[in-house]
Amino acid sequence: MGQIILDQVTKSFGDVNVIPPLDLAIEDGEFTVFVGPSGCGKSTLLRLIAGLEDTTSGHIRIDGRDATELPPSKRGLAMVFQSYALYPHMTVRKNIAFPMKMAGVDKAEQKKRIDNAARALNLTDYLDRRPGQLSGGQRQRVAIGRAIVREPAAFLFDEPLSNLDAALRVGMRLEIGELHNRLKTTMIYVTHDQVEAMTMADKIVVLRAGVIEQVGSPLELYKKPRNVFVASFIGSPKMNLIEGATAAEHGATTIGVRPEHISVSPTEGMWKGRIGVAEHLGSDTFFHVHDTGLADMITIRAGGEIDLHHGDTVYLTPTPDKIHRFDQQGLRVA
Amino acid sequence: MATQHSKTAARWMISPAVIMLLAWMIIPLSLTLYFSFLRYNLLMPGTNPFVGFENYEYFFTDPGFQAALINTILLVVGVLIITVVGGIAFAILLDQPIKGQGIVRILVIAPFFVMPTVSALVWKNMFMNPVSGIFGHMAKSIGLAPFDFLSQAPLASIIGIVSWQWLPFATLILLTAMQSLDQEQLEAAEMDGASWWSRFWYIMLPHLSRAITVVILIQTIFLLSIFAEILVTTNGGPGTASTNLTYLIYAQSLLQYDVGLGSAGGVVAIILANIVAIFLMRMIGKNLDA
Amino acid sequence: MARTISSRQTTVATIAAWFLAFLMFFPILWIVILSFKTEGDAIGTPFHVLTSGWTTEAYSAVQERSDYPKHFMNSVIISLGSTFLGLLIAVPAAWAMAFVPGKRTKDVLMWMLSTKMLPPVGVLVPIYLIFRDWGLLDTLTGLTMVLMLINLPIIVWMLYTYFKEIPGEILEAARMDGASLKSEILYVLTPMAVPGIASTALLNIILAWNEAFWTLNLTAAKAAPLTAFIASYSSPEGLFYAKLSAASVMAIAPILVMGWFSQKQLVRGLTFGAVK
Repeated sequence: MGQIILDQVTKSFGDVNVIPPLDLAIEDGEFTVFVGPSGCGKSTLLRLIAGLEDTTSGHIRIDGRDATELPPSKRGLAMVFQSYALYPHMTVRKNIAFPMKMAGVDKAEQKKRIDNAARALNLTDYLDRRPGQLSGGQRQRVAIGRAIVREPAAFLFDEPLSNLDAALRVGMRLEIGELHNRLKTTMIYVTHDQVEAMTMADKIVVLRAGVIEQVGSPLELYKKPRNVFVASFIGSPKMNLIEGATAAEHGATTIGVRPEHISVSPTEGMWKGRIGVAEHLGSDTFFHVHDTGLADMITIRAGGEIDLHHGDTVYLTPTPDKIHRFDQQGLRVA
Repeated sequence: MATQHSKTAARWMISPAVIMLLAWMIIPLSLTLYFSFLRYNLLMPGTNPFVGFENYEYFFTDPGFQAALINTILLVVGVLIITVVGGIAFAILLDQPIKGQGIVRILVIAPFFVMPTVSALVWKNMFMNPVSGIFGHMAKSIGLAPFDFLSQAPLASIIGIVSWQWLPFATLILLTAMQSLDQEQLEAAEMDGASWWSRFWYIMLPHLSRAITVVILIQTIFLLSIFAEILVTTNGGPGTASTNLTYLIYAQSLLQYDVGLGSAGGVVAIILANIVAIFLMRMIGKNLDA
Repeated sequence: MARTISSRQTTVATIAAWFLAFLMFFPILWIVILSFKTEGDAIGTPFHVLTSGWTTEAYSAVQERSDYPKHFMNSVIISLGSTFLGLLIAVPAAWAMAFVPGKRTKDVLMWMLSTKMLPPVGVLVPIYLIFRDWGLLDTLTGLTMVLMLINLPIIVWMLYTYFKEIPGEILEAARMDGASLKSEILYVLTPMAVPGIASTALLNIILAWNEAFWTLNLTAAKAAPLTAFIASYSSPEGLFYAKLSAASVMAIAPILVMGWFSQKQLVRGLTFGAVK
């Protein structure tokens, strides 16, 4: 079980109000990602749930029980830290055993759970090493192992992949995803990387300055961003935002078109421009088009085999029903 | 984690240290200041009348004061020059991939761990003694008259002894700083065609500058208070030739029992040390923020 | 190092370094040699010293001087005692400053350091008089207290820098793992703090052992540690090279060994973290 409900939760550090009153419901078994630029309060929110920070006001309920005043150790949650926070003076085995030792789990059960976790995480050969002798990816797995053996109500991840290199990050992303599929335990995952959010989440919570900008599934956010901030934050490459006369034609202050929703042609189309940088990835090609009169630069995602290059003049046509319209306040116009 | 409860506990944990140091600092300091305005001599028990700045007048006009001030400066500056220049040279040398580096390091820093009275006595007797010291034997063996270091060049001899003690300290700190120099920087400079000398001047020395400042400031604090070496070797003599401020004040208060005069000297010493301390504290404070 | 250095350059550097290191170490080496000579041989020419016979009689002579073991024990008591007391007071203080920092933590730290910069001679007179009036002159209690106080800022400071290096996330992890404050301190903090405390203790023992201002001024025959005892050899009647050497070797040997183990901590402790 792992239902977590935040009810009018606020947090202030001194006079600085980091999180204004905030409501959020995380259902049992859900993989929820808090995403947002650095300083948006996503880590603070996670630490409030963990109990590592005191709430200034409001209530946190875990499985229907008011946990606002409970110390972290009594909330039944496990956390994986950005720095992994492994105990340097303990072996991997002892690290993983530590929460069970604290909970007074008997030795035989401890051993069973450690062995299971080690097998699942490919750590069997490293159980007697110290964290200092492990690679970044292995340390990450030990941290996850330490969280698993507690059989917590929910897992909390605080930017767990940010210290890994790109290749490892993709691998660990998959492993955490598989872990969730297998355990079906609630997971709350904090990241500033929208790719991680999109690939892993059942539910994404987009935060800015402590305020929830939008909550929804990855595709909901992609298809119907509630405002300009969410529109430009979700999706890669970023959505093109166009203001002025062209936007007014569509009855909006700002219109947005994703790079993949613009077709490109050397001969004809709605907008004319000149290719600046062309990035040929094989599977795709990204064109950065200048001199369109719409914005400084329009990014386009085209097929991999297209034969256009730097300096070519091109014509662009947006897919009509994929144009997002936003009003003066930056809010989506139906 | 910083709840009100833990803040209160923290205050209780810090207060013994603070109270003790506060007492250790405030009580003697105010007494020194107070005594410095009294006519107070332990050999003349009496009323200890308030005499204003009389002790300071005596202290500043004491012929020993000028000599002691000059000797203090010579001692500090002399030792600083020797240890900093020597320390830089040692640090660069020991940073090379030499064979047996660990042992060389141990040998070089050993003098720092020798207690001041031992090193002073060893130098005085086994090396500088004109009759049976090594230097005397060496002079005689090449037909020269042995040189009586401690009577003919007392201050220079003490500078030598103190430098021997502090050179390891400078070396150790500068070597630590040297080892944090990015080798790629030196390689980049070499690729840019810099000679060894320009690499030293434009890369190593600027990199060491911070550590050099630290060495100078910390050594100055300690060197201003050099005492045991003088007490054991020359007793400040001949005359006042090797008396520094610390020794002068010691002599006035504990040999001549003139508490008032010694206290006035103590106040002067505190002011001098504080001038150096301010610079040092600023550097450390900056480092604390970083 | 990635680049290859010509072997000739290395050879030159090696020879130079060994030569200079030998010169630096020579005075210590020399008293070790002299300590194994008879008094007659010890004052001879260097050639004579090196070629004459070896004996341990100087060591026996020093040991037999009934007061030597007493002064050695005095040194042990004041350096261990002041270190232990200092830790007792400094560990909680440094702990609190590192883990529950307040607005004024930095100021308190800096102020503590500033007390270390006070020249001892500036407070010699009042301390001497207070000690005289309280009957603390020439007592181990008084000396231990003074040594503890003069080194307290360094102890607090060093411990603070060590505790600071223990990442806060690890403590949070322990809390998330269900550890109570007691188990957090017992299983996580203490094992991580012990190496730092040990290094601090080591450096402090060295500093206390070699302290030669207060030990010389506040003691006479009874409580004098080795620093003051050795100083008594400076009078002409003490001109016995072999015995002086033997006494010196025994006085510096334990500290020399400790010092070699504490090179890194020395840099940290004496520069207050300004050079790492």
